[in-house]
Amino acid sequence: MTAPGSLRTLSVTLDVNGTRHVVDTPVHYTLLDLLRRGLGLTGTKESCREGACGACTVLLDGRPVASCLVLAASVSGRSVLTIEGVAAEGTLHPLQEAFLASGAVQCGYCTPGMILSALALLREGGVPDEATIRRALSGNICRCTGYATIVEAVQRAAARLVAARVPGGRP
Amino acid sequence: MNIVGRSAPRLDGPAKVTGRCVYAMDMAVPGMLWGRIARSVHAHARIRRIDTSGAWIPGVMAVVTSQDAPPRRFGGLVKDETMLAADVVRYAGQPVAAVAATSPEVAEEALQRLQVEYEVLPAITDPAQALAPGAPLVHDAWEEYAAHPQVVRHGNICGEASVVRGDVDRAFAQADAVFEDTFTTAPVHQAYLEPRAAVAVWETASRLVVYSNTQLPFELQNTLAEIFELPPGNVRVVVTGIGGGFGGKLRVGVEHIAALLARRATRPVKVALSMEEEFLAAYPRHAVHVRLRTAVRRDGTLVAKEATATLDAGAYSGSSPGLPSVATLVLAGPYRIPHLRVTARAVYTHKQNFGSYRAPMGPQCAFAVESQMDMIARRLGLDPLEFRLKNILRDGDTGPTGQVLGRVGLEDALRRVADAIGWPLASAPHRGKGLACTWWTTTGGPSAVYAALRADGSVTLATGCAELGTGALTGAAQILAEELGVDLDRITVTSADTAATPYDYGAQGSRTAFSVGNAARRAAAELRRQILDVAADVLEAHPRDLQLRQGYVTVAGTPGRRVALGEVARLGLQRGGILATGTFVAPPTPYDPACVRGHVYPAFHSPSFHAHAAEVEVDPETGEIRVLRYVAAHDVGFAINPRLIEGQIQGGVVQGLGQALWEQIPYENGQPLVHNLTDYGVPRITAVPFVESTLLEYPSDVGPYGAKGVGEPPIIAPAAVVANAVHAAVGVRITSLPITAPAVYAALRHTGGIR
Repeated sequence: MTAPGSLRTLSVTLDVNGTRHVVDTPVHYTLLDLLRRGLGLTGTKESCREGACGACTVLLDGRPVASCLVLAASVSGRSVLTIEGVAAEGTLHPLQEAFLASGAVQCGYCTPGMILSALALLREGGVPDEATIRRALSGNICRCTGYATIVEAVQRAAARLVAARVPGGRP
Repeated sequence: MNIVGRSAPRLDGPAKVTGRCVYAMDMAVPGMLWGRIARSVHAHARIRRIDTSGAWIPGVMAVVTSQDAPPRRFGGLVKDETMLAADVVRYAGQPVAAVAATSPEVAEEALQRLQVEYEVLPAITDPAQALAPGAPLVHDAWEEYAAHPQVVRHGNICGEASVVRGDVDRAFAQADAVFEDTFTTAPVHQAYLEPRAAVAVWETASRLVVYSNTQLPFELQNTLAEIFELPPGNVRVVVTGIGGGFGGKLRVGVEHIAALLARRATRPVKVALSMEEEFLAAYPRHAVHVRLRTAVRRDGTLVAKEATATLDAGAYSGSSPGLPSVATLVLAGPYRIPHLRVTARAVYTHKQNFGSYRAPMGPQCAFAVESQMDMIARRLGLDPLEFRLKNILRDGDTGPTGQVLGRVGLEDALRRVADAIGWPLASAPHRGKGLACTWWTTTGGPSAVYAALRADGSVTLATGCAELGTGALTGAAQILAEELGVDLDRITVTSADTAATPYDYGAQGSRTAFSVGNAARRAAAELRRQILDVAADVLEAHPRDLQLRQGYVTVAGTPGRRVALGEVARLGLQRGGILATGTFVAPPTPYDPACVRGHVYPAFHSPSFHAHAAEVEVDPETGEIRVLRYVAAHDVGFAINPRLIEGQIQGGVVQGLGQALWEQIPYENGQPLVHNLTDYGVPRITAVPFVESTLLEYPSDVGPYGAKGVGEPPIIAPAAVVANAVHAAVGVRITSLPITAPAVYAALRHTGGIR
């Protein structure tokens, strides 16, 4: 057993929200630990730590993952998008605006993960139907809203993005 | 009105959609250590020995047991709990020791090396066992515990309340029919996504600062002061973002242990629980056993009811002693019943401490009452809707404890949901429709706010009430904006810090928008007076002729004569600033004290009434239930922010459907069998219907613009609605929650299939 207190580390190079980081990371760290403890990016939320709740969802090379189930050591050379990177220069992404306008935020703890799961869906283009939205968000638990406003928010954002003809981008 | 009554986006929304809102799980301070808690593995055992020597591995800065902890017992109405178990553990999961270390990994490793030797004792695992004659006491010394004088206790009963009205025995003897049924419910968990977490910092040896995701900062301040024998003013509680609470973050959770470790280590300590710990040792909803006897006339008029509810309180009382009172009012139901004998009691067992989950006692007791209403209607050959309409409370009626009711919107609510769902016929085979109606309280308690006009013409609202996620503080801000004639984005809300914001009874009991809103309205009136006073000099007009509009003070009839609020604020600074306090204390609701005993909550204040209906489909091959449609009509008094209120209804209904269909913490030999969100059946987005809501406005005399509480009520009816709809669909009556597919399947097999 490794002596506690002197945890073995390895160097991980990754891109987070467009910025390259080289971090010495304890070998047992998950991507969630790396983001929150290593880089101080606490917008990615920690809850169940076993992939059940989706609160820690980030995009890894564009695909949604539960960052608590990904070992930090495995993300070297890859790129990560967290909630901190969704809005650009103080301008909210249409999804973030839609979450506000639809009342899809209550306590807000599921919100970062929800938005990233929804973002992955919207990057596929088009206005997804309700069943598709629900399927895409089925890994994200929200205990507050009952989900109706979240579905509405994703539809609202999708419609706006399609109207702007910039799939997944900024209108 | 321009701002209240509108669906404004919540003020804390931008921080929450960008990941900038700082929750307790995110909090860190310089030099902070990480604390972890060692917990009992037994439901009941004597602690023979705790050997902490192995835990002192490199990086460990403190190890504490009961010998290091202040011996003070704390609690709510009954003070029966200590921070760390001393000689006996009374539930699996009870804290026995704690460590603080330079990383969570080291703290966890130290816990593994800590040795606790137990002598296992027989556990009392359900209330029936605890109430049996000669049953051992969960607390041998219960009589020595400090307790609120109104709480009736004896032996393993830590709280008992009753309501008795009329001549119950005679009414039963003369009734045309008497129906007796029993119902049971499983414990369910709030399953807030953010575990309880706190950072404790001792600024001096006798000044403690705690950052916590608590719902009740002032109660926590007092509890910590009590435990550490400090003046409450020496304890400062700062509330962080709260990732869901639903009543699970009312009582002290991790803060006392963090503070003890921090004192020992002389460094700040953070304790953040894992989800596993949350399922072991939190404040989930009580399992309740309800027995109902109801007497009716042949024409369907209710004449008498006798009800007994038994709550499994767990090993410590927490919120439990107050909840039998609430249970009696729900058990009486929103009906005219002249003869009543209702008793509820909370019983100690060797389990975790069950607590105040959103509308505590509401879903369990309403499940029993509203299921039985359906059963009686069908036995009498009456339509369940008509049977309810015949008996519901109406304007001028008295409630179960004698409170006089006005502006009761229940018939309206029932008819709306019946129309919306297309009552009573199902749309296809194996489908059925169910409905239920309920009532609930708007908890009172004091609120106070500070409000100030700032030099840029914006307004600060400072409240000691936490924003739990409901958006209620956005509602309070809307009230302030409305009264001052400024845009909502000109209001900044500060919440909650016991050292900087005024006392508030807290984010509980559906009271925040109601109570803080009223306090904000009063502060606005005072601010307005000061603003007009200053502006009157500038505008050379009488304050009476001035109006506040869109950030300006204008002279009525002469819109050109105006002064901006920012200018007023700057001039006001010369007089010491434009700032005000507003306070509100809900007036007590008159009731008949002669009919209650052991009651700490004898009436529902500004009561709201609600009706829900649903259509479900049951798969006769598997028993699986799908909720096809769900409609809810709620009297909210006045909708300050309709969209946020609908969000409360949709969210509350879905939580209620979770309890109805999937959620439970099963116990075996006093051990909870569910430890995580993987096994615990929180409703997912693919499993729930769209909840259609209707807001009715039967104003409260007291609430701001007539508003009533809305947070808790939506969770009360769903279990009963589902039970009634399942019966309508396939003819089986499930009297035990949750109504799982296996339970329905077994019942279908038992009755020989679909009728």
